[in-house]
Amino acid sequence: MEVLNNRGVEDYQTAGPKQSYFSPYSFNGGSILAVAGEDFAVIASDSRLSEGFSIHTRDQPKTYQLTQNTVVGACGFHGDVLTLIKVLKARIKMYLHEHNKDMSSTAVAAMLSTILYYRRFFPYYVYNIVAGIDDEGKGCVFSFDPVGSYEREPYRAGGSASSMLQPLMDNQVGFKNLPKQARVPLSKEEVVKKVRDGFISAAERDIYTGDEVVVNIITKDGVEVERFPLRKD
Amino acid sequence: MFLTRSEYDRGVNTFSPEGRLFQVEYAIEAIKLGSTAIGIQTNEGVVLAVEKRVTSPLIEPSSIEKILEVDDHIGCAMSGLIADSRTLVDRARVEAQNHWFTYNEKMSVESVTQAVSNLALAFGDDDSEQAVMSRPFGVALLFAGIDKGGPQLYHMDPSGTFIKYEAKAIGSGSEGAQQALQDVYHKSMTLKEACKSALTILKQVMEEKLNSTNVEMSTVTAEKKFHVFSKQELEEVIKDI
Amino acid sequence: MSIMSYNGAAIMAMKGKECVAIAADRRFGIQAQTINTQFDKIFEMGPKLYVGLPGLATDVQTVAQRLKFRLNLYELKENRNIKPKTFLSMVSNLLYSRRFGPYFVEPVIAGLDPKTSEPFIASLDLIGCPMITEDFVVSGTCSEQMYGMCETLYKPDQEPDDLFETISQCLLNAVDRDAVSGWGGVVYIIEKDKVTKRILKGRMD
Repeated sequence: MEVLNNRGVEDYQTAGPKQSYFSPYSFNGGSILAVAGEDFAVIASDSRLSEGFSIHTRDQPKTYQLTQNTVVGACGFHGDVLTLIKVLKARIKMYLHEHNKDMSSTAVAAMLSTILYYRRFFPYYVYNIVAGIDDEGKGCVFSFDPVGSYEREPYRAGGSASSMLQPLMDNQVGFKNLPKQARVPLSKEEVVKKVRDGFISAAERDIYTGDEVVVNIITKDGVEVERFPLRKD
Repeated sequence: MFLTRSEYDRGVNTFSPEGRLFQVEYAIEAIKLGSTAIGIQTNEGVVLAVEKRVTSPLIEPSSIEKILEVDDHIGCAMSGLIADSRTLVDRARVEAQNHWFTYNEKMSVESVTQAVSNLALAFGDDDSEQAVMSRPFGVALLFAGIDKGGPQLYHMDPSGTFIKYEAKAIGSGSEGAQQALQDVYHKSMTLKEACKSALTILKQVMEEKLNSTNVEMSTVTAEKKFHVFSKQELEEVIKDI
Repeated sequence: MSIMSYNGAAIMAMKGKECVAIAADRRFGIQAQTINTQFDKIFEMGPKLYVGLPGLATDVQTVAQRLKFRLNLYELKENRNIKPKTFLSMVSNLLYSRRFGPYFVEPVIAGLDPKTSEPFIASLDLIGCPMITEDFVVSGTCSEQMYGMCETLYKPDQEPDDLFETISQCLLNAVDRDAVSGWGGVVYIIEKDKVTKRILKGRMD
């Protein structure tokens, strides 16, 4: 804006050095949600990729199948997500060749933790959740922070709507604040329904969550994928 | 083959016209000068037994160590130039711990053996980095361990070749001992039988009289993991043979 | 840290069939340190009208008293109970009068019309912008968590007992994922001929 001084003359400006900034990170939204069952695990994400108030695409699910029975959900900065997933896939292939066996879900989780921690001071801006089947055949979910702190949990929400999904899962899957008799193990179909309902609710209030929810159902036999529509506005 | 000495037996990474690497072959020969070591795999676990050459009464026998722990679930017996084995066992230990650190699971016996064998042919003098090793290792190793595939025994020689065995003998008495193993081994062998057989065979091939100070024995089982026999435990087995 | 989350609070209101519910947590703390676990954040503004005030605790009490003051004047002048919608304007007016030095509270109003018993819920921001909704309103430090719960569990036209169960579950599970609110809760179910106040036990951590 032009600034006039009290004599009605434009301020005199010299051409000085101009500083510009570059930020290596941006935030592309998206939510992920994983639930471990008795002999299965469910992991879902929405398919919206956005930045600020604009939507880049409505078809970019944030779950990635890594092995026959391991799926990772990753959201945050999509550039880092893509690189991290490539690193993971490469490392899993190297493991296969070195040790002549598929990597277990627990080993994928442990490796991801070290990969993240090796970038402790220039982190991958990615929130990860690993879902799969453990060595005993039970469903497993591991949640991570961007620098590799991780924990095995019965269920976990991550990403932009995590604060809406997490208390809901506490109640509906973890049976928190409910009488003891409510605690019965959930079937695959029940879990998928609750996960889907959670995303429908999250899409109502979170502008970074919407378009479609992609649900991966993991069993020892592999991964099945189901898609359900969400709000597109 | 020692009669056909030529200029090719000097360079460690030059093939002879017949397609041989003499230095590597000589290294394999060097094993045959070493003390005998035996490994037997059973369904219950794996046993390793080695003879110790106590060449002077002034030697403290416990300072001769020829069976080492690689990780909780893997042990390693050796024959040949024992000094060379330090480098290899160190690598095995580092690889096993690295694997645990990265994957939070135990490294398989085959993978440990593979990782160590990668070092076997890493000698040479034409590398841009400083040449670390100028000759092949003069030691053979027996890796005994338990992993998801059950009890396993692997043999690795100075060429880096590694092979899985049910029972294997290395060192000076290996020819006789291997034959004896073939005669005595059967798939349903118990660990106790294997321990006894290992010492019996060692006794046959050793020059000295076998006793609890000039042999070393250890087992790897699911329950006790890697376990070195104490003097008393050794005497328990020896009195039966 | 924002002054709005200095003390911590969670308040929500819901519409049911011929009834409304308003619920709040009971914690009063200074940042992470809990001071009191029987702290009132919901205030009676009439026989069937309640206001919940999450925000800076000192302003919560000041605003509650100033509202009561204005309300008393209104009732003396008009000689009748205030309508919830009118009360909303009153709150809005009080807050906007401090447009450039606001009270740090974002109130929630729940009540029944004194004549028609029409259910009414609304919320305001800290400078008095009103918002009337048909289902539920939330306000406080864990509003995202409350939205997540309410959006899924809320059903229109619930009977008072069912409404109580819904709002209780929404509140408790939301505050359990917030460090600065919780330590039990309180629920008011406002019906045509009675108001029921219930104290909720919750996680004390």
